[in-house]
Amino acid sequence: MFEVLFYLLIFPGFLFLYLCSWLFEFLDRKLLARFQRRIGPPWYQPLADLIKLFSKEDLMPQGANEVVAIALPIVSLCAVLTAGIYVPVAGFSPESFEGDLIIVLFLLSIPTLAYYLAGVTSVGIYSLLGGARSLLQFFSYEVPLLIALSGPAVLAGSWSIQEIIARQSETGAFLLFQPLGFLLAMIGLIGKLKRDPLDIPKAKSEVVAGSLTEFTGVKLGFWHLVMNIQAVVGIFLIINLYIGWTSAGNPLLNISIFLIQWLAMILLLSTASAVFARLRIDQLAGLGWKILVPLSLLQLTVVILMGV
Amino acid sequence: MANKLMPEDFLRCVSAHTQQPCELTGHIINETAITIAADDLHDIVAALMEELNLTHLSAITAQQREDHPDEIQVMYHFWQGGGYTLIVWLPAAEPVLTSLMDIIIGADFYEREVAEMYGITITNREETPPLLLPDDWDEGPPMRRKEKSV
Amino acid sequence: MKEKITIPIGPQHPLLKEPISLRIDASGEEVLGGTLRLGYVHRGIEKLAESRTYTQNIPLIERICGICSHVHTTTFCYAVEALLGIEIPPRAQYIRALLCELERIHSHLLWLGVLAKHVGLETVFMHSWHDRELVLDIMEELSGGRVSHGINQIGGVRFDVDAEHHPMMADKMQKLHERITQFMQIFEREPSIKARTHGVAPLSADLIRQYGLAGPVARASGVDVDMRRDDPLPPYDRLDISVITHPDGDAWSRTYVRIYEIYESLLLCEKILQAIPEGNISVRARRKVPAGEVVVRSEAPRGEVVYYLRSNGTEYPARLKIRTPTLPALAIMPMQLAQIHVADIPVVLAGVDLCIACADR
Repeated sequence: MFEVLFYLLIFPGFLFLYLCSWLFEFLDRKLLARFQRRIGPPWYQPLADLIKLFSKEDLMPQGANEVVAIALPIVSLCAVLTAGIYVPVAGFSPESFEGDLIIVLFLLSIPTLAYYLAGVTSVGIYSLLGGARSLLQFFSYEVPLLIALSGPAVLAGSWSIQEIIARQSETGAFLLFQPLGFLLAMIGLIGKLKRDPLDIPKAKSEVVAGSLTEFTGVKLGFWHLVMNIQAVVGIFLIINLYIGWTSAGNPLLNISIFLIQWLAMILLLSTASAVFARLRIDQLAGLGWKILVPLSLLQLTVVILMGV
Repeated sequence: MANKLMPEDFLRCVSAHTQQPCELTGHIINETAITIAADDLHDIVAALMEELNLTHLSAITAQQREDHPDEIQVMYHFWQGGGYTLIVWLPAAEPVLTSLMDIIIGADFYEREVAEMYGITITNREETPPLLLPDDWDEGPPMRRKEKSV
Repeated sequence: MKEKITIPIGPQHPLLKEPISLRIDASGEEVLGGTLRLGYVHRGIEKLAESRTYTQNIPLIERICGICSHVHTTTFCYAVEALLGIEIPPRAQYIRALLCELERIHSHLLWLGVLAKHVGLETVFMHSWHDRELVLDIMEELSGGRVSHGINQIGGVRFDVDAEHHPMMADKMQKLHERITQFMQIFEREPSIKARTHGVAPLSADLIRQYGLAGPVARASGVDVDMRRDDPLPPYDRLDISVITHPDGDAWSRTYVRIYEIYESLLLCEKILQAIPEGNISVRARRKVPAGEVVVRSEAPRGEVVYYLRSNGTEYPARLKIRTPTLPALAIMPMQLAQIHVADIPVVLAGVDLCIACADR
């Protein structure tokens, strides 16, 4: 019982994921600032933002459903935290079973749906537009992402993430066998996290803040948590599926190696953020269906042939 | 780059389309100016555009001069390598102008501004809300006020 | 989602630097059209000018617009000097032109950052505004103010370009040279910006002529007009100006024209600094201006500025009429809004380079 609580709340549960999301947001903003010749925020900025948001007045426009509005971020938070339990950290996860990859992918899609519903719930033209765009974007990146994330499972012959990691310690990182899949997974992750260049649903110059325009206070604080933890879990997932894990014996060394891999991914994501301009939604749909999906299918075919 | 228009051609074209005698009034520095009647305005502008390719309307200025207290002077400033102005005098009590929007679309905003600032009625165009003044402005044309602002 | 919705942009919106009210009708992601409402920053400058003396009017006119303040006062001073019948010393003419060109560089760099931010490329926004600081430093050294210079007076200019200024200016202009060349290369090759601006909201040369537009928007549609070359104020009649045009008329052309214009203005600044003659920087001007009327035109960073000034022999102007370049650009905007995507609205607004304070006066 005590063990279960420890896993849920401390490691790799809520506290650990929150600390990781804090580090992620800080590093992301700092890197972006440095690319832009700015100084960037201090290390405690994400916590300060959260405290500020929680202390703000909580308003909703007339006609919006208050209950749904507070339920959506809470449900999303539960979903990403649950997904976080099943994604191994430094090779360790409290529970793993055949098919947990599929559960994780499903749980990671819940925030996207909740984002759309949040846009529909809060009455307002910008929220509606942002919500509609997020759904359109979902259709464009999700398919290549799922196919790209299935590639390692096919190669390892198992749908359990721990098994995939174990296979990689025998054969070497799957990144070497399917670099295209890795690239597609990264693009899909950028779309899922709604980061530049795929931050179309919350493009500040077009739809002010998208679905979350009318959210303030505690609800917005929860949404920020959801976004950041989703990012952390997504990156962990890709590291596990494509880079794998070989235990180095010493637990401290284990964590350090994992952390370094994680930092490299954050660097990749931040660079992509700084360098590209935002796409238009129709350009994204074209990119997704005309280029990404065929490439991911090609990669999957290659993987299947390799496994044979 | 358009060729600069000769003042003689400007005068000739304008005189050809009006009954009144026209002459170049030299009183505006940098501009070739001719005074015409308000009724001839539309035809003259159409002729200038067609024959001399004078299409660039820079501005429409209206003013009430203290040496002509009962009239409002409206000037149409054209440009083609140099400035060419058509001057029209309207009675201050009931100033009415014909719109040029059907031949120069760009006259739209200038006419609206002149209409709301001086109370000039512009015929032959659709009703539009005021351009610069608030929707609920009811204090009369601002530029015709006699008192000076601080 | 094919029903018609109305997207309100303004008076307050992250897109806008100044208040303007746009109501855009859209169906899904396609824009059907829009209506415009101005007047949020109308201060009645033309009426205010009638109760101030000519010298008192210079600070008033400087505050019509933040970015093109010097061009406005320069045109006004040339108008008053024409009525007074005086000619200012050549050195003053060159100093006025130098600041006009520096202002053009400043305005276009600012615009570049705004366009990049609207398109989602914040990095270019931050970098171009960082480089804009170089220009602002030069202007601050020359006049004491970064944006509002107060360097014009009736009869000449108030501050001189001293020998100490030259090395500082040369150094900063050299840095600007490198940075702007880099920007030109980025914009030529960066695919995501091209994807966002290519083919967006094209304007034909005929439409430009019908609306009487001049300036970068007109030159981007192939209309070869530039007030500095075609109706020059001194000393532009003695300088060699190359006019940049581009035939396509879409948002990419407008970007191209403005970026290359920054480069041309930089070259022009260097020419001015080489050609500037020695001499006084102002002549004495009478306070009472003889009766007369004058029209002066000049090339602001956004297009053609027209000033009509009438004096009646007193110290106060009898009528001052200002027509700023943003007014016809706003008139043409509903034309551009038809048949674009909602996501292109920022690109269109940035391409027009709005200066609402100028338009409203």
